[in-house]
Amino acid sequence: MKFKWRYSFSGFLILLILGICLAAPILAPYDPNAIAVADAFSGPTAKNWMGADDLGRDSFSRILYGGRITILIAMAATLIALLIGTTWGLIAGVRRGWVDEFLMRTADATMAIPQILFALVCVSAVGASIISLPIVVGILLSPTTARMARSAVVTELSSDYVTAAIASGTKRSKLILSEVMPNIAPQLLVQLSINAAAAVMLEATLSFIGLGIQPPNASWGTLMLQGYAKIWNTYWFVFFPALAVTITILAFNAYGERIRVTMDSRRSSV
Amino acid sequence: MGVFLLRRAASSLSVLAMSVVLVFLSIRILPGDPVLAKLGAATEVTPEALVALREEAGLNRPLLVQLFSWIGDAFRGDLGVSYFSQFPVTQLVSERIPVTLEVTFFIIFIAVILALILAPLSTLKPGSIVDRVIGYSTSIGLSVPGFVIGIVLILIFSLTLQWLPSRGFIPISENLVENLKLMILPAVTGGLTATPYLVRYLRASMLEVKQSPFVRTAEGKGLSNVRVLFRHILPNSLVPTLTMLGLIVGYTLSGVVVIEYMYGLPGIGSLAIESAFKRDYAVIQGVALTIISFFILTTFVFDILCGIVDPRLRLAKGQKSEV
Amino acid sequence: MTSALVVKGLSLSVPSANGRVTVIDDLTFDIPAGRRVGLVGESGSGKSLTAYSLMRLIKEPVRIEKGEIFLDGQEILGMDIKKFRHLRGNDISMIYQDPMSALNPIMRIGAQIIESIQLHSDLNRAQARKAAIELLASVGIPEPDRRIDSYPFEMSGGMLQRVVIAIALSGEPKVLIADEATTALDVTTQARVLTLIDKLAAERGLSVLLITHDLGVAAQFSDELMVMYAGKLVERGSVNQIFSNAVHPYTKALLNSHCDYTTDVNKPINSIAGQPPRPDNRPTGCVFSPRCAHVQPECREKVPQIEMVHDRLTACFRAGELLELGAVNK
Repeated sequence: MKFKWRYSFSGFLILLILGICLAAPILAPYDPNAIAVADAFSGPTAKNWMGADDLGRDSFSRILYGGRITILIAMAATLIALLIGTTWGLIAGVRRGWVDEFLMRTADATMAIPQILFALVCVSAVGASIISLPIVVGILLSPTTARMARSAVVTELSSDYVTAAIASGTKRSKLILSEVMPNIAPQLLVQLSINAAAAVMLEATLSFIGLGIQPPNASWGTLMLQGYAKIWNTYWFVFFPALAVTITILAFNAYGERIRVTMDSRRSSV
Repeated sequence: MGVFLLRRAASSLSVLAMSVVLVFLSIRILPGDPVLAKLGAATEVTPEALVALREEAGLNRPLLVQLFSWIGDAFRGDLGVSYFSQFPVTQLVSERIPVTLEVTFFIIFIAVILALILAPLSTLKPGSIVDRVIGYSTSIGLSVPGFVIGIVLILIFSLTLQWLPSRGFIPISENLVENLKLMILPAVTGGLTATPYLVRYLRASMLEVKQSPFVRTAEGKGLSNVRVLFRHILPNSLVPTLTMLGLIVGYTLSGVVVIEYMYGLPGIGSLAIESAFKRDYAVIQGVALTIISFFILTTFVFDILCGIVDPRLRLAKGQKSEV
Repeated sequence: MTSALVVKGLSLSVPSANGRVTVIDDLTFDIPAGRRVGLVGESGSGKSLTAYSLMRLIKEPVRIEKGEIFLDGQEILGMDIKKFRHLRGNDISMIYQDPMSALNPIMRIGAQIIESIQLHSDLNRAQARKAAIELLASVGIPEPDRRIDSYPFEMSGGMLQRVVIAIALSGEPKVLIADEATTALDVTTQARVLTLIDKLAAERGLSVLLITHDLGVAAQFSDELMVMYAGKLVERGSVNQIFSNAVHPYTKALLNSHCDYTTDVNKPINSIAGQPPRPDNRPTGCVFSPRCAHVQPECREKVPQIEMVHDRLTACFRAGELLELGAVNK
């Protein structure tokens, strides 16, 4: 099933951002940690496209590398959320009964805990690193995926073609893999997109309050934290990372919306 | 009505119980030793001293025992003692709760007012310029992290225009005007973060309701568009939105944590962050319990409100309406 | 006798794959004061759209392309909408098809009636409430002072339809439109509601436009009948005329296919071969020509206009001969 969304603008934007950030080592004009006191506090110039920070480090390079970290963490978190959430939801949707009840109640309970708070709790225990953050954020985002996966599976399993397949003797496990999964794939993709947006937002927020990526490494959130301290005279420290974060989240959200709208219109035209 | 209340209460309590257990377990299960954190890296600790300290903090007991003992204490109002400051957690929390409550109240207030203005404006003429502008704004609003909104607001109103202070807190008892002035930026930040979700949801709900036959009947009476919107479409759109509002409150509570920290408000949110830095688990647990309880309480209240607005919801499954 | 309602050249369009197409084509009719006129036709013939046009409740994507509607002498299509709202619900009102969904589910029925009463009068809340109770009594709702505070989900379909009628009569209507008002009700309730409308209309001297696809209902209630097909008016006459000697081939076929308890169960049901055309697929010439048993080449080329043939209005080139044939066959 080839959807038109492959060619959407937001999709292109996402690829662009991903590409640029992951290629940071190649694209960055300077070493992000290279201190050059002479250039400190300069605004956007030909030498430093996005200015330089208080230690003269080139902002543009720092943003590229920062993006790399943010994107990597977000992508890892999204994948973890997808894996955990889908398995969670699938088991609940296939098993039904008290297993379903219990799993979904747990999902509700997890969703009842305000996100930052939960992240706070976990991060304070485990410490923040490139490994721990994706896991924490991933676990946080999994219940929504779980709910969605469960209801999608339940709907699919009750549809006629499944009943027919079971009646003709197909094994349930085979059914799930070959028939049900492809049909819920678009919804999972929407979830993936939305989760990616949420992951970026969470990571940025955590880093901004100091519980995320620590210096000298810097994700976009950390850059904003550092920039905020110097905001009085040099707004651009904060401005560029903020812009980057917003555009990235916007792109992911728009992409997810786009797929959802396409799916809905397909369904209603049938 | 009574049965309805009981059912909802039971449901809420079970969710509360589970989340609390989750928080508790997360702290205990995750690697990282609170006692070591307390001592700090500088101190040399003999293994025996470590064991003794852990014994003292009760961390050597089986997990379940720890859990139940904590819950038992919590019921009696004892949430433990902060590892660092030696103050009882309950005291720390109760000192700072009023601030959080005040901020949260204003945030929700602003979000609801904005939504009740923007969503109907959008629905009055779907597809119009007004509708589309509101639509794009909500998209962008959803994608901007709360603290970024805060930064922008501070830049404009504190630094450039110098109209409002950007940090600090003065209790109402001392000075009402100053207190409110200091509340404005945090409340607007939080409100702007929550509004897009509300507006989106309310608008979708209203557009759906607009297609209903009874809206045509209302128009057929000769009512003006505005009256139809507010007396017939909006109330019927509120029911699903009220549920959403409960969730929004949850997100808001999450955001309050960051907002308190940014604006230097001494509420339980900033308490949580400070404790997170210090790895003060006793406090974090206590704060988590408080915040989660509030959240679940609010969803419960909104569920009840739903029942009030839509009388059909008060019927239990299988219960017939009187004829 | 002046006409309570005059419709001239009403045309409505809808969007389609090939641009806008006509759904109601140059509709012209009038309803004299105090008369009961039934409008019959299949689903899709445009009956309901006609009704909504009279109340100016047509919404995009459907559009009124042209036409004039005169309510008691006043032209209402071109009127300022704010001015028209004074007339809507007051001078002309409507009873809707499904009473269950026609009322605001979370508003007490009394409040919904009072809203309408206060809109069209100067009564205060207490007076309006009294008037509402009286109205409920006049539409046959028992214990109106208790029922007035009920919610719609607490009442049956028949009762709810009475409430809808009450709302329709809360002003001083001169024209009442009943859009499939009894279709969603069971047969016994149907009869009761029709009797009620009949009584109230007689009491207040209203003109009624009864829209239905049920010929029996139309015959029972109306003085005159109008038959619509694919957006066009094809025949009009008194109930007697139509039932004893319908002229238009479509009307005849419709009457022929009518079933009731006297129909012989052993014979197959007479149906009209073919399907009504979709708005974007209307034939040239007479719109019924593809399914007509009496079709001639002329029918496919020119559009028959509705005109007086002997004692009734009909849109058929062969009206004269068919009338003769029909009279002979009786």
